[in-house]
Amino acid sequence: MACKDWRQKVQKQSFRRVIEMRISTGNSAMNVLRWWWGLLLAFAMLALVRVFLPLPFANEIILFSIYAMGCNFLLGRVGFISFGQPAYLAVGAYGAGFYLFYFGTNAYVGILFGIVAGIIVSLAVGALFVRLRSDYFALVNLALAVIIYYLMQKVLANITHGDNGLWFLTTIASSPVLDLSRPDQFFIFAFLVAFAIWAFYKYIDDSIFGACCLATKINEDKLTFLGYSNYSIRLVAFVIANTTAALAGAMYAVYLGFVSPEITSAAHAPEPVVVTILGGAGTLYGPIVGSLAYIGMKDLISKVVGNWELIIGFGLVFIMLAGERGICGTLAPLLRKAFSRVAAPTAATGVGGKTR
Amino acid sequence: MIDTQLLISGVLFGLSLGSIFFLMAIGLSLCFGLMRIISLDQLLYYSIGAYITYSISVVTGNLWLGAIGGMAAGAIAGLAAERLVYLRIYERDITFTMITSFGILIGGVGVIKYFWGLVPRPVEVPIDVQINVLGTQIPVYRLIIVAVAVLVYIGIRTFLNRTIIGKAMRAGIENVEHVEGLGINVYRLFTIAFAIAAGLSGLAGGLYAPLIMVDPQMGLDVLAFVFMVVIIGGLGSIKGTLISSFLVGQVVSLGSLIYAPLAQMAPFAIMLLILLVRPTGLFGSPLLKR
Repeated sequence: MACKDWRQKVQKQSFRRVIEMRISTGNSAMNVLRWWWGLLLAFAMLALVRVFLPLPFANEIILFSIYAMGCNFLLGRVGFISFGQPAYLAVGAYGAGFYLFYFGTNAYVGILFGIVAGIIVSLAVGALFVRLRSDYFALVNLALAVIIYYLMQKVLANITHGDNGLWFLTTIASSPVLDLSRPDQFFIFAFLVAFAIWAFYKYIDDSIFGACCLATKINEDKLTFLGYSNYSIRLVAFVIANTTAALAGAMYAVYLGFVSPEITSAAHAPEPVVVTILGGAGTLYGPIVGSLAYIGMKDLISKVVGNWELIIGFGLVFIMLAGERGICGTLAPLLRKAFSRVAAPTAATGVGGKTR
Repeated sequence: MIDTQLLISGVLFGLSLGSIFFLMAIGLSLCFGLMRIISLDQLLYYSIGAYITYSISVVTGNLWLGAIGGMAAGAIAGLAAERLVYLRIYERDITFTMITSFGILIGGVGVIKYFWGLVPRPVEVPIDVQINVLGTQIPVYRLIIVAVAVLVYIGIRTFLNRTIIGKAMRAGIENVEHVEGLGINVYRLFTIAFAIAAGLSGLAGGLYAPLIMVDPQMGLDVLAFVFMVVIIGGLGSIKGTLISSFLVGQVVSLGSLIYAPLAQMAPFAIMLLILLVRPTGLFGSPLLKR
């Protein structure tokens, strides 16, 4: 493909977004700093979470935000809403689970197996699914999640031990560099992985491929006209996003030390989408903020009231009615306004003598 | 080879299952066709219908009264949800309504747990008479379910083809703007369609209650099948929904006769095959959403 040519064409076709991206990524130190500061801020926040909140909670948040990142990419960049994310989570979890239960003891290899399983399954399924219209896509994915639930619970019960699940917490060997069988070291590993994935998505956002993804969401006819295949762009995006979910699943399996079909039950199906919307779809910090808010809320509510479904359900409806931009999207302009208000008086006092 | 007795009872089981799927899926399909929303909370009205049926049949001992009560309760709950929530979000994206409706579903399950608790409740079968067809004992109750579904189909068709409101709805499925241009209040139509859909889901729950245990998660159990029915039939098509619901019902029932785990997997495989050939289902309109 003639990349340069294409870039010129796209700019001529005035995909504003693309141009803005091109401009914003320069080589000067200032721009590099601008590229990284958000990343550092978000993860400094996560590090704070680790300091102030109990370890299991911090682990849960970081795993969930990895899980939500894939969904965030799919929803915010490619415009696919998928209610079937638990299916891919389960694929990753069982990929790792089978390896750790039957074949080996190395947690890293288990995670690798989960990723490979995720790639294979999402390639096979995605080839069919990405052709569908967005509404059918959402329904088909949910059906897939339920089918994988049945598959793991009943059809493959000989291998998966049905509802009892596979337990391998004690058989995981302590690994050399970071010992994944210990929660505190697992946190560091998960933290690094989340960081890497976040940087990866940020990189994709700034690349030609990211611009293509955005273009399929906004105007697919135009992209076809430019000589790109909507199908292959969507397929690649689908595989990337769902492999992220599978990775999260594999890490869940290693962290919890067991997998059961419960991981893909329909009741959990919309959670990643909800978290994404909660954090603000398409915003890069969305998944982290969203999972912090959602897991925190769920944790608190289920401690106080037994009937958490009631509050989560109606709270969700309320959030949906209140605003579709999510926490991050709603707070960002407010914060900016607040900052400018804080900054303005100081500026005024500094220059005040001259102006007044 | 499967013997005929098993086959006949299997076919009948499939028919009654398909009838329940049809009653539920028609709500989803109607809502999508007319209002372009995916209303997952139909599954909530299904469980509400079942629970109201349970309560009424415990108090009065009459299941039919219970089923009618369940239908009414489903319709009222649907009406409330439509007026309170959906009216504000019709303009939004379709997937947005899907998430909101899932919120209603989860919240409603919480309400059900609050009132009725977690314990599964049995409902007595009102007629345990069995009739003899070709040497096979067939429970009459399942036949009645099939008859109700057929009646509902005929009723819906007459409603859509003969009455002025139904005609307006059909026109709305084709093009809402034109209907609005004729001076018809489409939001009134939406409310009516939603109440009908919710009422039918409630009826499905009420009728199916004696054959299964009534528990708070029952809506989520049928979720996958109802989805597959709607996808295979094509969103927004009532004829397609009828055909695909009986197809899925038969596949589930006969599949479980051949090899038990097949019951869950076979409809999914069929759905994938049909989507491979026709990405919008059997009778779905190829039009993109407006």
